[in-house]
Amino acid sequence: MVRPLLNRSPMPGLGLSMGITVAMLSLVVLLPIGALLWQGASFGLSGMWGVINRERVWKALLLSFRLSFYAALFNLVFGVLLAWVLARYRFPGRRLLDAAVDLPFALPTAVAGIALTALYAPNGFFGAIFKDYGIRIAYTEWGIFIALVFVGLPFVARTVQPVVEELETEVEEASATLGASRLYTLYRVILPALLPAALTGFALSLARAVGEYGSVIFIAGNKPLATEIAPLLIVIQLEEFNYDGAASIGIAMLVISFAMLLVINLIQVWSRRRIGNV
Amino acid sequence: MHIEIDEISKQFGSTAALTPVSLNLPSGALVALLGPSGSGKTTLLRILGGLEYPTSGRILFDGQDATGLTVQQRRAGFVFQSYALFRHMTVFENIAYGLRARPRATRPPKAEIARRVQKLLELIQLPQIGARYPNQLSGGQRQRVALARALAIEPRMLLLDEPFGALDAKVRKELRQGLRDIHDETGLTTVFVAHDQEEAMELADLVVVMSMGRIEQIGKPADIRARPASDFVRNFITA
Amino acid sequence: MSDATTLAAPPRPRAFRAATEESPAVRRGLILIAVAGLAILVFAPLIVVFAEALAKGAVAAVKSLQSKDALSAIRLTLLIAAISVPLNAVFGIAAAWFITKFDFRGKAFLITLIDLPFSVSPVVAGLCIVFMFGANSLAGGWLVAQGFPIVFALPGIVLATVFVTFPFVARELIPVMIEQGRAEEEAALTLGASGWRVFRTVTLPNIRWALLYGVLLCNARAMGEFGAVAVVSGKIRGQTATMPITIEMQYNEYLSVAAFSLAAVLTLLALVTLLLKTILEIRHADEIAATRRH
Repeated sequence: MVRPLLNRSPMPGLGLSMGITVAMLSLVVLLPIGALLWQGASFGLSGMWGVINRERVWKALLLSFRLSFYAALFNLVFGVLLAWVLARYRFPGRRLLDAAVDLPFALPTAVAGIALTALYAPNGFFGAIFKDYGIRIAYTEWGIFIALVFVGLPFVARTVQPVVEELETEVEEASATLGASRLYTLYRVILPALLPAALTGFALSLARAVGEYGSVIFIAGNKPLATEIAPLLIVIQLEEFNYDGAASIGIAMLVISFAMLLVINLIQVWSRRRIGNV
Repeated sequence: MHIEIDEISKQFGSTAALTPVSLNLPSGALVALLGPSGSGKTTLLRILGGLEYPTSGRILFDGQDATGLTVQQRRAGFVFQSYALFRHMTVFENIAYGLRARPRATRPPKAEIARRVQKLLELIQLPQIGARYPNQLSGGQRQRVALARALAIEPRMLLLDEPFGALDAKVRKELRQGLRDIHDETGLTTVFVAHDQEEAMELADLVVVMSMGRIEQIGKPADIRARPASDFVRNFITA
Repeated sequence: MSDATTLAAPPRPRAFRAATEESPAVRRGLILIAVAGLAILVFAPLIVVFAEALAKGAVAAVKSLQSKDALSAIRLTLLIAAISVPLNAVFGIAAAWFITKFDFRGKAFLITLIDLPFSVSPVVAGLCIVFMFGANSLAGGWLVAQGFPIVFALPGIVLATVFVTFPFVARELIPVMIEQGRAEEEAALTLGASGWRVFRTVTLPNIRWALLYGVLLCNARAMGEFGAVAVVSGKIRGQTATMPITIEMQYNEYLSVAAFSLAAVLTLLALVTLLLKTILEIRHADEIAATRRH
């Protein structure tokens, strides 16, 4: 039997709720994305490739991706640690720390951008310390890395924390009764259980970082071929009224986001198949 | 191994889970700790396994003080009520876990581990399921895998927490016999927790009836049936 | 406990700890790393915002907030939030109702589409709005001819804001409404209640905390959005410059106190948001979604 498109239901409000959902989704999200793709399509694949296949664009895309990857990697390790500490330990100030993890979600990116720049500029509090050792943070790749760590900080911690809370302590006890040391238990039992959630958080953090703009542009220095991120190129193209150029880079980034969305979903399917749930 | 429990007590905060209890478990016995929930039977089992530390008292293994031994040093084969199988490992990896976790010096070679796991799979009469994951097994199969995993470390004793608690009546009966067989074959001192008196009476050589952190009576099933030591025991075993 | 039993207790070996615990040293070390990491990454920027804002005294900070640009930016940001957050709440409720009260094919796909804006760069989101409604586009050209421009004007900023905050309310409501099922609504219907009445008297009381939670997060993002707004606003001083855009302009003009004072206002908003969020999570943990993921 073919499943009907819509099961009849006595619930009221079908027309209204479906109407609002479809209308707003189309008007705000789908049609605008379609308009971007349409702009690209009318410009043509070879035209778009011509825009992307330039050193400045490649360098920016690569920079965005590479630093986002490092930042997500840092957040993977630190996020798992945070999730563990917040879920397992009780200590004064835990609530404050727990709330602080969410600050990067709540703080506007432009605010984060100027605050980090003020902190890491050569005359800033941290910047001055590094300057004594001859290291520059702001206006270099390091600055971009720190901004991306900041915006991606909550993702891994927040996806892993509920999993830590739900870990059965009996499983850890079982490992110990079988003679395993705490370290071996961590490595063979606990981390594998956290892995799917941690990878999901990693991918979310990576996706967020690749597209990040507001917190990065202040600290990046934005030197072409050196510290220019991909979203900035779009803004530059727009300011030069080069709509085809902007569309080309925008579509490239859209493709990257969709690829990452796909990866996130694949991770979840994989872990569900393997251990029954996420 | 002969287990001696000497004046063991356990406080959780202000509540006493165990008032001092003493108990002698002869080597090779199959012992049931029987009682309603909250009687302290699981706490006692966990103290034997090294998962809890007693507030006072001593545990002696073959006459030697074992109170301070860590969980890892106890070498107690422990079967959890929920089985606590490692969900991300196959049955084979679950059973091999304890052997692989040993330090390099005492770890058996790969082939030896595989041989021992296969032998254990045969002992629990599930020789074919090594490659499966726990969520692909029935409740009864999981229980037997948990038992095999506990046996793999060549334990000095076998401790089981409500081993049949999560199973339906028919499977319970089968597995009861299975546990008896494995006990007889390995000769291990075996202690299991039960709240079902029929199960305890039918399976165990020695039954310890507990209530509210105290031992009400210790004896062979027949003796307890014939001469219950208190009203509580009488009510509990006829319930 | 009597003294006798206390004396009888054997000395607890120092090595003993529960099998599920780390040693106190490891535990302290991990807590220390967490505290230090968050201090450097989160608390330090937070402090810097206020320190820079007050660098020339509180008077200078307050005065900069009373400038024409700052006041118009604050007004605009409040206006945008006042329009886009209710729009989002209406969408979120409608979408959650549609998804949880009816069975239809393609539900999972619809949810993916609703989540889509989270994985799109804000700059790309703004770009999409420009191509849809910009003066060069079909729809935008016609609207401009009617005297109703979208891009470089308020409607465009609202659209961009709604785009980037699109899933906030819906994804808080959907899990809660799935968990609550349909039985209560069905019972109300059999008692003769009208559709609106069912929603107002049965559904809304059950989802109010989740709704508030979603609105809170949505509002924080709406007031602070930068990338998408930067693309569609045209950054016209006094007209389309929101608070974050004004912060950028003032910062680039080396008006540090002005930029950080405005930033401090937004930071206070973020802190209030986090405080309310934490209170909601403590008081109404059962009534908001288990998903604290964003």
